[in-house]
Amino acid sequence: MQEWIDSLIRGWGHDPATWPWTQFLYLAFMGLFAFIVINFAAISAGIFSWAERRVAARMQSRVGPNRVGPFGFLQWVADAVKLLLKEDLVPAEADSVLFRAAPYFMMVGFACVFVCLPFSHRLIVADMNIGIFYIIAVTALIVVGIIMSGWSSNSKWSLFGAIRSAAQIISYEIPGGMALMIPVLLAGTLSTQGIIRAQGGWPWQWFIFDNPFSFAAFFIYFISALAEGNRTPFDLPEAESELVSGYNTEYSGMRFSYFFLVEWGNMWVMSALATTMFLGGWQLPFLSPAQFDALTGFPAVAAELASLAVFAGKTLFFVFVVMWLRWTLPRIRVDQMMNMCWKYLVPASFAGVIFVAGWMLVVHAVPWLGWAMRFVLTGVATVGVAMFALRTMKNLRDTGDKFDFSSNW
Amino acid sequence: MAEQLAPPRQAPGAVGAYVKNVRDTAKSFWEGMSVTLSYMFRKPITIQYPDRTDVPVRDTIPARYRGFLEVDMDTCTACQACERACPIAVINIDILKGDGKTTPKLRMERFDIDIGKCMYCGLCVEPCPTGSIQHTREFEGAVENFDNLTLRFVPDVLHPVVPYKPPKGAEAFPRIPLGEITRALLKAWDAPRPAFPSLEETAKAAAHGKPKEGALDPAALGRQLAAKALSVKDDKPKLQKVLEEAMAGTDCGDCGYPDCFGYSDAIAQGKDTATDKCAPGGADSKSMLETILVSLKTGAVPGEPAKPAASAASAPAAEAKAEAPAGPPLSQTLPKDELYKVVLDAMAGTDCGDCEYDDCDGYTKGIVYEGQTDLNRCAPGGEDTRVKLFQIMLGTKPPPK
Repeated sequence: MQEWIDSLIRGWGHDPATWPWTQFLYLAFMGLFAFIVINFAAISAGIFSWAERRVAARMQSRVGPNRVGPFGFLQWVADAVKLLLKEDLVPAEADSVLFRAAPYFMMVGFACVFVCLPFSHRLIVADMNIGIFYIIAVTALIVVGIIMSGWSSNSKWSLFGAIRSAAQIISYEIPGGMALMIPVLLAGTLSTQGIIRAQGGWPWQWFIFDNPFSFAAFFIYFISALAEGNRTPFDLPEAESELVSGYNTEYSGMRFSYFFLVEWGNMWVMSALATTMFLGGWQLPFLSPAQFDALTGFPAVAAELASLAVFAGKTLFFVFVVMWLRWTLPRIRVDQMMNMCWKYLVPASFAGVIFVAGWMLVVHAVPWLGWAMRFVLTGVATVGVAMFALRTMKNLRDTGDKFDFSSNW
Repeated sequence: MAEQLAPPRQAPGAVGAYVKNVRDTAKSFWEGMSVTLSYMFRKPITIQYPDRTDVPVRDTIPARYRGFLEVDMDTCTACQACERACPIAVINIDILKGDGKTTPKLRMERFDIDIGKCMYCGLCVEPCPTGSIQHTREFEGAVENFDNLTLRFVPDVLHPVVPYKPPKGAEAFPRIPLGEITRALLKAWDAPRPAFPSLEETAKAAAHGKPKEGALDPAALGRQLAAKALSVKDDKPKLQKVLEEAMAGTDCGDCGYPDCFGYSDAIAQGKDTATDKCAPGGADSKSMLETILVSLKTGAVPGEPAKPAASAASAPAAEAKAEAPAGPPLSQTLPKDELYKVVLDAMAGTDCGDCEYDDCDGYTKGIVYEGQTDLNRCAPGGEDTRVKLFQIMLGTKPPPK
C-alpha cells in the first residue's frame, strides 16, 4: 500500500521523499487500514458465528437461529450487543492485571496476521517479503494470551485448558510451518502476493496439484491449522465435558467475546492462508499477473473485483469446510492428538519438504514431467470430488429423503 | 515387505499398522463428511413452534389433554360441585340468592378460575352434572401480568348469570365447541393488567356476601317456609314442595339422591333426617331445613322475631335489635330428648375430648341433662358452636371472650 500512498502524494504535486508530511500521511493511513482490517475481522467473525450455527443446525436436522432479521442473519449483532452489555467480571482470586490483559494479546496476535493476508490483486495492507514467516511468528502470540488467561484466572479448568492449548499449538506449529514451506520452495519467495503470482488461474496451476507431496502438504497444513485454531476435532483446550470452557471459563462479557472473536476470525485466517498458499489465491483464468498489472480504467476495476470474489469464494468454501468438519468429527484424546502430530504429520511434512526439493530438480531437467503430474493430480482430484458427490447423494437417498436445500429456513 | 513377513490382517507389522491408520483416517473422513453433508441438503425435521406448524399446536395434541379449564355458563347449574372438588381453591363462585319469585332463586355473580394456580388435576370436571366445566386443549398462557390468567366466566358482577335448569332425566346437555369460550377469555401476552377497581367497585366487593337487595334473609325465609310447612304438615307431596324450596334447586345430586326432589321427598317421608346434605345450598339451606324440621316437631315456628326484620340499611342499634331473638330459647320449648339432638348437632362432632368430656355425646348430655353451664368448651366448633349453644340454651348472644 506504500506505493499507492506515494502515488497519491505525487498526484498532489509533491515528492514523497522530500515532502514534510509524508510520514504523517503514512501514519494516518496505517490507522485507517488497521481500523478497516480489525473491523473486517470482527464482522466476519460475527457472521461466521451465525453461519456456523445455521450449518450446524442443518447438519443436525434442526433449523437454527432464524428469527432476527432475514434467515436470522442479524443474530450475531444481537449476540454481540448482549456480550458488550454484560458485566465484565474479574474473579476475586484472579491476577487481575494479567486477567485483563490476556484478551488483548489474543486480539493483537490475531489482528496482526491480517497485515500480510491478501484480499485481491491489489488489496493487501502490506506485501512484506517475509510475509509467511511473519504470519507464523505473530500467530504464536496467541499462545501467550491463552497461557496468560489460563494462569491468571486462578482456576484449575482454565489452567488445564491453557496448558493443553499451549502444548497443542506449539506442537502443530512444526508440521504446519513445514507444510507451508513447500509452496514457499515452489514459489521461491516468502511474500504472500509473490506466492499467489507464482500460481495461476486454473486448478492445474495451483500448488496443491504440483506434486503428490504438495497435495499431502495441503492436508497437513489444514489439519495443523485446525489444531492451532482450537477447532474440532482439536478443541481439547475448551473441552466442555472436561474443562467447562477451558482457558476462557472465568471470562464474561466483552473480554469473553474477544476469545470467541479470535476463534471464529481464525477460520478466515486459516482458510485465506490455505487459499493463498495452495489454491491460487485471487488468480483469474485467462489473465496472467503481468497482464493484470497492465490493466487500466474500468477493466482494471472489474478484474480487481473479480479477483476479490474469487479469493473470497475459495476462502469462504474452506470456512464452510471447517464448520463441516466440526459437526462431523468427535473430539480426539490428548494422546491421539500428540500421536497424530509427532508420529504422522511431522515426519510426513519433513519428507514432503525433501521430496519437493528433489522434485523441483527433476522438473527443471524434464519440464513435461511436471505438467504431466499436474494434470494427473487435477484429474484424480476431479474424480475424487465427483465420487464424493455421488456418495453424498447415495447417503441422502438411502434413507428415503429428497434433496431439499430451500425449505424450512 | 512388512506384510510379507507377518501374516496379513491378523498382526500387521509396524509399517502396516502405520499405513492402515492413515488409510482409516482418510476413509473415515470420506464417509463421515459425506454423511453430514447429505444432511445439510435435507429438509430439517424440526418444525418451529409456534408459527411454522401446519395447524395450531393445540389441535395436534390428544383430545383428553388437560389444558386450561372452560365453563360453559349456558349449561352451568350453579351447583358449585367443581368449587368443592378443587383441592387448591382455584375456582371461585359467588352465588346471589333470590326468593325464586320476583328474582331467580340462584344467580352467579362470579365464576373465576385462576389458571395460573390450577394444577390440572381434573377433579373439578368429574362431579359436574352437565359437563359444563371441561379441560380444553389450550395451553399457551404466557403473560406479562399474572392477573390476566384469571378467567372470568361471569364477566360482569352487575349482570349475574342465571343457572341452567337441566330437563328432568336428561342424559346429554348442549355445549358449544370446546375451547371457544376460554380462547376468547385468554388475553394477549402483553395485555395490560386488569384495571384497579374504582372506589365504587371496591365498595361493591366489600358488600359482597351481606344481604343484598333482592336477596332474602335466610332466617326470615326459613321461618316463612316453616310456617308454610306447618300448614301442610300432613300433605306429604305439598310438604315435599316446601322442603325443596329450602334447597338450592340445582339437582346436583351431591346429597346422594338423584335430584332435589329425591332428597326433599325423603325428608318429607321421614326417611332422612339429615339437614346438611344440600351442598350448593350450604349453611343457608341447612338452617332453613332445620327450622322447618324443628317447627314440624314442635308445632310452632321457633325464634319468631317480635318485629319484622329491619332493612339492611337501618342503624346498627336497630340491626342488633332485629338480630336479638324473641321468645323463649329452645331449651325451654323442646323436650329433653329433642334438645339433646339439637345440641349435639350444634357441636363440631369430632369427639376430640377438648371439653373434658369423653366425646361430643358426653358434653351434650352434660349440658342437657346434668346442668353443665359452661357452653364455651367446644374447641373445634369455635365461635359458630358457641353462638348456637348460647342461642339454644339461653336465647342470648354469647358474651365476648
